[in-house]
Amino acid sequence: MSTVILQQGINGIVFGSLYVLVALGLTLIYGVLVQINFAHADVVTLGAFAAYFFTFVFGGNYLVSIGVALVVGAALGWLVNAAIFAPLRERGSELLPLIATIGASILLQNAMLIWFGPIPYAFDSPYSNAVLRLWGGTYITWQNLIIIGVSTLTIAMLYAFMKLTYMGKALRAVAQDRETAGLMGIDPNKLIMLTFVIASALAGMGGAMLGPILVLTPFAGTTVIVKAFAIVIIGGFGNVEGTIIAGLLVGLIESYTTQLVNPGLTDIVVFTLLLAMLALRPTGLIAEKREENV
Amino acid sequence: MRLALLLAAAAAIAAVPVFFEDSYWRANLTICAINVMLAIGLDFILGYAGQLNLGHSAFYGIGAYASTLLIMKLDTPFWMAFALAMALSGVAGMALSIFAVRLRGHYLAIASLGFAVIVHQVLLNWISVTQGPLGIYAIKPPPAIALPGLPVIAFSNPANMFYLVAGFALLFYLLLDQLARSPIGETLTAIREDEVSAASLGINCAAWKVFAFGVGAAVAGAAGAFYASFVGTLVPDAFIITESFTILAMVILGGMGTLIGPVLGAIVLTILPELLRGFGDLRLVLYGFALMLAVLFMPGGMAQAARLARALCGRVLRAQVPG
Repeated sequence: MSTVILQQGINGIVFGSLYVLVALGLTLIYGVLVQINFAHADVVTLGAFAAYFFTFVFGGNYLVSIGVALVVGAALGWLVNAAIFAPLRERGSELLPLIATIGASILLQNAMLIWFGPIPYAFDSPYSNAVLRLWGGTYITWQNLIIIGVSTLTIAMLYAFMKLTYMGKALRAVAQDRETAGLMGIDPNKLIMLTFVIASALAGMGGAMLGPILVLTPFAGTTVIVKAFAIVIIGGFGNVEGTIIAGLLVGLIESYTTQLVNPGLTDIVVFTLLLAMLALRPTGLIAEKREENV
Repeated sequence: MRLALLLAAAAAIAAVPVFFEDSYWRANLTICAINVMLAIGLDFILGYAGQLNLGHSAFYGIGAYASTLLIMKLDTPFWMAFALAMALSGVAGMALSIFAVRLRGHYLAIASLGFAVIVHQVLLNWISVTQGPLGIYAIKPPPAIALPGLPVIAFSNPANMFYLVAGFALLFYLLLDQLARSPIGETLTAIREDEVSAASLGINCAAWKVFAFGVGAAVAGAAGAFYASFVGTLVPDAFIITESFTILAMVILGGMGTLIGPVLGAIVLTILPELLRGFGDLRLVLYGFALMLAVLFMPGGMAQAARLARALCGRVLRAQVPG
């Protein structure tokens, strides 16, 4: 039994760290713009397809394909901001950009459906079947080891960027107070663009690593994004530390519900937790001084 | 003026099945009337009370499954099951609203989205009751009406079914229109525009938001009950969260905050995809693109476009008649 518990713990952390990558992008965008981006789901999906085609059609290295997905994601993030969020910024509505991104998401999903077809892609990375034995009968595939390693490294780099560099400081300043930051000589438009590029690069990478452990269809991103929204709320909108904790927590909850209760109930458990969180502690696990929406 | 519009609407409903004789188009007309109900219900929550509800498919699904299960498992008469399904959907809407009454904007959007995911998953996994992904089959249409001295009106006839559903859609439209024009409607728009100012005038914002959610959800429940009895089969995937987005698109493209706008939006977005069937998957790409363009360039939807057109016509006419 303890082997099962440990094994599911490892699996939970694998999924959790990918959820963190995807949810961090949403939370970064929310922190700076106070807007929700539904097209984030399709950045994840397109990242996964970019990695698939780079690896299997062009014969590239899977590890390099994660970088390719990062670039594809970043480009798409730039596009989403330039086409939707930048033109709608003056309107100051919380509803319009959200609906426009739903439209963009419907557009992208069905464009992918035309290009890639509805049949799931068998995306076995070269590391999917290589197993590393661990203590007490547990094991981990190299693919999952790559997921944990790359995610941890990326999250650490993002954290260092936000806390240590001048750019990161400027970004946090814009998130705190856009007008004042503008008066201090920071160009908020540039930084909002940068946020979208970083956030979507994370989502693209996440997609490249999710591809091999998920059913890869044009709609793959949607299932992940709905969970990412739950994670962002459980962790506290705009809160990076909270998002990391909540992402890992959701990964573990899913993994243990699947093993110990019933695989069909995972979403019900996660979203009931979300509603409970909203009712009891709407500021998230780690409260921040952002009260305007609560 | 309003009476004339009402008569025109009634005449249009009466005439439409005569023009569309094949059963495929008659079926689409009934789906159209169901979508009108869904759209005006969501518009009451979103456009009037300003509550960002992304989970309308949940109330639709609750209405459909509740009425069907009441009829098939408990032998409840159709119209009683219909009323109970409406009530249950309304209560579910109020429950979600009470839950989320402290939340605004994006938090409510995600909470309602989460609620819709939970409802869909419950329908999928509560197999002993809902039969899960296998679905429920052979759901009967509403019972025939046999008035003395008149021929029996059977709802297995698609034209009669359309008259029934469209008649109810018109009834709900009139009720919501009446509500929106009453002081209640003004109260709701006051809350939408500025909750703090509304509260300072002594309005109990929380109670009115719960009310709006309950009304909109109950109308969605009625739409669900009609859907089940019309289509005859129920599967959980008919009430997946993307269904909420489709209803949302009808409201936005039609023009939220007006009731006639979502009606037009529902009609256009039900009929247009059928006409575009020849485009295959491309039609949904166009659909998404249209939604994006509408938000960017015409956020008031068709209602705004109509106002613009009328103003433009007026200007042209005035220019032609000097003095």
